[in-house]
Amino acid sequence: MAIDYSKEVTPGRVKQRMVYESGNEMAAYAAHQIDYHIMGYFPISPSTEVAQHLDLMKTEGKHGIRLVPSDGEHSSAGICYGASTGGGRVFNATSAQGYLYMMEQMPVQSGTRFPMVLNLVCRSVSGPLNIHGDHSDLYFALNTGWPILMCRDPQAVYDMNLIALKLAEDPEVRLPVMVAYDGYFTSHQKRRVQTFEDRADVMAFVGEYTPEGFANALDRENPITIGPYMNEPDYINNRYQMSEAMYRAEGVFERISAEYQELTGREYPMLDLYRMDDAEVAVFVMNSASETIKDVVDELRLQGIKAGAVAPNMIRPFPQRQIAEALQHVRAITVGDRADACGAHGGNMLNEIKAALFTHGNRDTQVVGRVYGLGGKEFGAEDGRRFFELAIEAAEKQTVNIPFDFYGHTPGDPTKAPKRLLKPLNFDELKTGLITVTPNEETGKLAVKIPPLRSLTKKPKRLAPGHGACPGCGIFSGLELFFKGIEGDIVTLFHTGCAMVTTTGYPHSSHKATYIHNLFQNGAATLSGLVEMFWERKRRGEFEGLGLQEDFTFVMVTGDGGMDIGMGPAIGAALRGHRMIIVEYDNEGYMNTGAQMSYSTPLGHRTSTSGVGKTQQGKSFHHKDTAQIMAATGIPYVFTGSEAFPQDLVKKAAKAQWYAQNVGLVYGKILIACPLNWMSPDDQGANIVDAAVSSNFFPLYEVEQGVTAITYNPEDKNKKVPVSEWLKRMGKTRHLLKPENEAALQEFEREVELRWSRLKARHEHPDL
Amino acid sequence: MAVLPEVNKLGFFEIRLESIGGLGANLAGKMLAEAGIVGAGMDGVSFSSYGSEKKGSPVKAHIRFCELGTPIRDTSPIEHPHVIGIFHEALIKTGGASGVRPGGIVLVNSARSAQRIAEDADLQGCTVAVLDATRIALEEKNKVNMAMLGGLFRLCAFLDPEFMKDVIAKSLGKKYPQAVELAIRVFERGYSEIEMLEVPAKESDEASAKVPESPFGYLNQPLGGMVVTPGSSLLKDLSISRSGMLPAFDRATCINCAQCDTACPDLCFVWEEQPDKRGRMQMVLQGIDYQYCKGCLKCVEACPTDSLSRMLEQEGYADANQVKHRFDYVEA
Repeated sequence: MAIDYSKEVTPGRVKQRMVYESGNEMAAYAAHQIDYHIMGYFPISPSTEVAQHLDLMKTEGKHGIRLVPSDGEHSSAGICYGASTGGGRVFNATSAQGYLYMMEQMPVQSGTRFPMVLNLVCRSVSGPLNIHGDHSDLYFALNTGWPILMCRDPQAVYDMNLIALKLAEDPEVRLPVMVAYDGYFTSHQKRRVQTFEDRADVMAFVGEYTPEGFANALDRENPITIGPYMNEPDYINNRYQMSEAMYRAEGVFERISAEYQELTGREYPMLDLYRMDDAEVAVFVMNSASETIKDVVDELRLQGIKAGAVAPNMIRPFPQRQIAEALQHVRAITVGDRADACGAHGGNMLNEIKAALFTHGNRDTQVVGRVYGLGGKEFGAEDGRRFFELAIEAAEKQTVNIPFDFYGHTPGDPTKAPKRLLKPLNFDELKTGLITVTPNEETGKLAVKIPPLRSLTKKPKRLAPGHGACPGCGIFSGLELFFKGIEGDIVTLFHTGCAMVTTTGYPHSSHKATYIHNLFQNGAATLSGLVEMFWERKRRGEFEGLGLQEDFTFVMVTGDGGMDIGMGPAIGAALRGHRMIIVEYDNEGYMNTGAQMSYSTPLGHRTSTSGVGKTQQGKSFHHKDTAQIMAATGIPYVFTGSEAFPQDLVKKAAKAQWYAQNVGLVYGKILIACPLNWMSPDDQGANIVDAAVSSNFFPLYEVEQGVTAITYNPEDKNKKVPVSEWLKRMGKTRHLLKPENEAALQEFEREVELRWSRLKARHEHPDL
Repeated sequence: MAVLPEVNKLGFFEIRLESIGGLGANLAGKMLAEAGIVGAGMDGVSFSSYGSEKKGSPVKAHIRFCELGTPIRDTSPIEHPHVIGIFHEALIKTGGASGVRPGGIVLVNSARSAQRIAEDADLQGCTVAVLDATRIALEEKNKVNMAMLGGLFRLCAFLDPEFMKDVIAKSLGKKYPQAVELAIRVFERGYSEIEMLEVPAKESDEASAKVPESPFGYLNQPLGGMVVTPGSSLLKDLSISRSGMLPAFDRATCINCAQCDTACPDLCFVWEEQPDKRGRMQMVLQGIDYQYCKGCLKCVEACPTDSLSRMLEQEGYADANQVKHRFDYVEA
């Protein structure tokens, strides 16, 4: 069991100290005590906090881990893999889709036998986006060749993180190890946790250095080839070695676990058995739910029912023998899977438990299977009672009526259907005719005329009100202003991010026209597919009679984070030249997941992964110039804009539409305010982005058919302000104005000036 | 170790905080939990219910206290708390006070009387406590949560307010020493300015607060999780996101420049086409649809005249002065 409640301070040999922390904090705490060499990471809820806590501790100088902020989970896995080949210790944490994005790397890591520790903070993997806890990501991990340790509470998260490293590095094993705990239920719940008081005791347990005798990539005298091209007849033997190592991990875990118990008093057998000695009915559920079920067992025992509960502390290798032994005399068990194995007639645990019984000759125990608790659906005592009722019924009847089903799903009222509220948008209102775009025959450039903003209030907004963004959020004022310049019908794709989450909370949507979400590494590719489908169906005449008056304008909306992880597909779509617009709202961070740094975060700015403290003063490298990267792909039109300069942005939107309908891909970047994470007053957004423009940090310009034009030059207008005038307006940057940060401020000012000078040179010379 | 006045079947004294993101309930819950577990030497568990990390949307914090040695296994949200702290009065309407245990306490941040709150929320068989934390916060230029925390300490007599003051001093003292005294004063005001009223139980049916089931289940949910009702977020009421202030609109001084419309993140401004003096059709600003206004006041900042101004929201003002959007509904 995780905590032996009869003895609060356990009689272990090492000195221990109580902390009151969450699961994520404990994963970070263990990592900081181990002082891993490298962590490559990328933000995703609910695991992101692990990197945040480590960053916070790093700003206070509490550990020496090199934290590498990657450009996506695939990269974070790559960073970790590369680092692990170098012979040091490597750590990571992720969740859900993030784990699936790194999935390709998992068998590479295990197959080439480089140990590391990955915390999987379990969360649903889904189409309609769900960020809450279940085990659907975990079930994808079952076949990767990583031993998997399970944690029911924050205490187990701490303990397993120490055990995991020792297990991974054991010469008998030499495999990367996963530590799995429940998103939100365990990751965000604070509990009393016993920890090693002295780091020296931690190191004595895990070993000061990685075990010797294993080759690494940084040994000059012993060069090795990692990952050769290996076909039959050799490959199957590599897999057999891995399989053997995996099964050896069971015995090694038990040995390490016994050692750990001696040190700390806390015991982790392969299986956690609760009142199973004489149990006749049982329930098997994993992690946080396996604690909840114990209260139900106690309650049933008081009623004279011989109930018990089974939960694994390790599911790879699967504790097959131990399960068969534990269920030997049990008449019926309900197995709860917190994820479906779509089409397998049972969740993974149900089928593996059935296989365990079959393999060990048990044909008598009745097994009921239920998929429960998906996407954060609670599992309470009431649900536990229901699971036992199913087992009791099966025990009495000596048969199972419904061997496998979902639990907790609801039919809804079939007489009700979602009722459409709004009529289709009136095309004539969207196509105001107030905006004209005319190509100039001589220059080849576009001439744009726009009316006063007042007239454009007649054009319907693209979004309905009622979205859930923070007060003062700049996203929607920025986007709607941009859309004011677009005439006619649009189809949008939003990347994962604030704009997506706040406009589409089921069963509502703020989008009046068709909208698609895809995960934020892949929107550009997804929309490019839809664009090509549009043109192909149009070519085949398939839109006749469907109310389409003019071609759609296809707009992809992304945050700056989506242009980190989605940079590759955005460049790919640009190079292919699809007729679509990518518009980026840049709020200088991953705000939807809690303000982690993005590559667009400027130097020195405070975020939750670029903290400010004794040993660190905000982000350590300069902001990414995404507009210039996209301009280098040779697309017909690139622009920057801001709500502080409305006419400028509306004109650029009109040009963007023309190029996206007639030539190819357009990219635009709009700087927008995030009062919450910029730590600025709600009403100041427009003034702050105005200062960002006027300080030349965020120049307004366009690159039209390769030719750069600055569209607002604060120097010409005598409106130029120092960078500090912008920085002083935000809580996230105020530290940069302190005397001790003068060097960083100067470095930042130099970079701003350098980029501005280059831009002016381009403005002056059409060939640049 | 402190002695808990009362515990439920599993041995827990339970507290639930109901709030709007940005009011600091999350932090208050964290401090309250630490005061009990680190300060008073009890055991327990605390957590917040998360959607995403947004300001202005509902958030709950849950705290369970128990004696050392009590197994802590329940990870589910608290349904029947001994104490409920409601940081924003409007949350009463959405069931913020639901499920309080008989004999429990509901603390509400409100300028109204405990009697009126009890009637509005249909509370009975419990103590209703009222604290005008918003006023204290505005007067002291501080946060609502410090005042509410003071109030909660008064209601949880087993906790030591001196420990809390110490925590405030330590956590703020390092970076903002000048803020310590202020925060402690707000905490103390919250502690002392509570008004309490015991509401007798009516002999009636005990209504259990069941979460309403979604009307769309597996029989009628559109395939693939699609939303087939474009623009349906217009049904939402976001007035709850306001934290005291709203923009007031004076039509007489408006020049219809549309700067406010450009600035508004929440699409609140309502326009209509009307003939001007010369008979030409022009867009004219009609007013603000306060149902969607979160009170950010960007529009006031953008307004070049005095037409938009910031005001402290009075009860009933928004309803009386709003201009509703006219959407193009399927049925009139």
